[in-house]
Amino acid sequence: MGHFMKQATALSHGPQLALQSYLDDLLFDATEGLQQVEPQPDELSAVALDGQVQAEEPAVAMPLELADVGVATEAFAHPLVQVHRPRAAAAPLPAQTDGRPAWADEPFECLLFDVAGLTLAVPLVCLGSIYSLQGRELTPLFGQPEWFLGILPSHSGNLNVLDTARWVMPDRYRDDFREGLQYVISVQGYDWGLAVHQVSRSLRLDPEQIKWRTRRGQRPWLAGTVIEHMCALLDVAQLAELISSGAVKHMASAAAGATDK
Amino acid sequence: MSKAAAQQSSEDPILQWVTFKLDNETYGINVMQVQEVLRYTEIAPVPGAPSYVLGIINLRGNVVTVIDTRQRFGLQGTEITDNSRIVIIEADKQVVGILVDSVAEVVYLRQSEIETAPNVGNDESAKFIQGVCNKNGELLILVELDKMMTEEEWSDLENI
Repeated sequence: MGHFMKQATALSHGPQLALQSYLDDLLFDATEGLQQVEPQPDELSAVALDGQVQAEEPAVAMPLELADVGVATEAFAHPLVQVHRPRAAAAPLPAQTDGRPAWADEPFECLLFDVAGLTLAVPLVCLGSIYSLQGRELTPLFGQPEWFLGILPSHSGNLNVLDTARWVMPDRYRDDFREGLQYVISVQGYDWGLAVHQVSRSLRLDPEQIKWRTRRGQRPWLAGTVIEHMCALLDVAQLAELISSGAVKHMASAAAGATDK
Repeated sequence: MSKAAAQQSSEDPILQWVTFKLDNETYGINVMQVQEVLRYTEIAPVPGAPSYVLGIINLRGNVVTVIDTRQRFGLQGTEITDNSRIVIIEADKQVVGILVDSVAEVVYLRQSEIETAPNVGNDESAKFIQGVCNKNGELLILVELDKMMTEEEWSDLENI
């Protein structure tokens, strides 16, 4: 499975265009109903395509010095960074009525990462550790959905790795998105991790900066969008719970049934 | 064996698994279900047989059906090599052969070392993964042979 190890830079601008379009869709959802003056969609696209999104300097909660960490060569993957900030329960906290998860009662720290050119944010409270895929291979399992990339043995047990890009943008997915995946970010309290191309930085978000999704619908893992940073906020605990509970199998069956009709 | 050791042995038995390779991944099957391992021999196709049946071989006068393991595991077919083997197994009260890329070794695993595999696939083939285990720096995928085919398919095999 050497193709996982190719450099992320191999991705062309083509996927980025598609991803920008996807992000635009998310932002369209997010900005529906907003009364304030906002940039036109074309302006949003242009800014993001140039990769020049510059928000005000965020408060960096926990710098990730990935470059300074050696790559493990042992049988088990060791975490490069322990991301998780302990809290009482590992299970997803109940969402509030406006769609805002309980961890977003107050300003919270997020990790930004890139998947096939798309920037995503995840709350640190839901994350476990970051593992490097450099020099490592995932073990695929037959009979699993396409979004299941394989198993990564880690020091804390086997980690089931999902293809994040296929989850967040199945309609725009391309096979070359599987190339250049460099890290796996584990979800706190679950044996699941997200394969990503690049880990970016952490920042502190104010809940008021986020357009929360009040109806999670088919994408319960999408908590909201952060227009200021042009990124989607993932509720990875909901995502892991969706997978671990087996609910995702029913969703797949329902989708297949709908296609058949 | 001390009393404590005997108790531990009964609570956490050691199981033996025959490991084989398919597409560079290592799979394990319960040694108790393996009768013998044969070098590749000519497999006679059976007209009208299901797609997962490669054909039959003559094993000391007995006809044994050989299953296309790669097809069963959702893998692409490959060339037969010097390492290819037909593993004669007993599953669902039948003796059948499974064609594999190579046979590796017999490993000893404690029951407690076996971890459950993710249960997210709707595919029928996902059901015969019994578990996974880290051994000697690699991940073994343990296969439950009895579930490798449905009751109907096992029944069809009897009539080939």
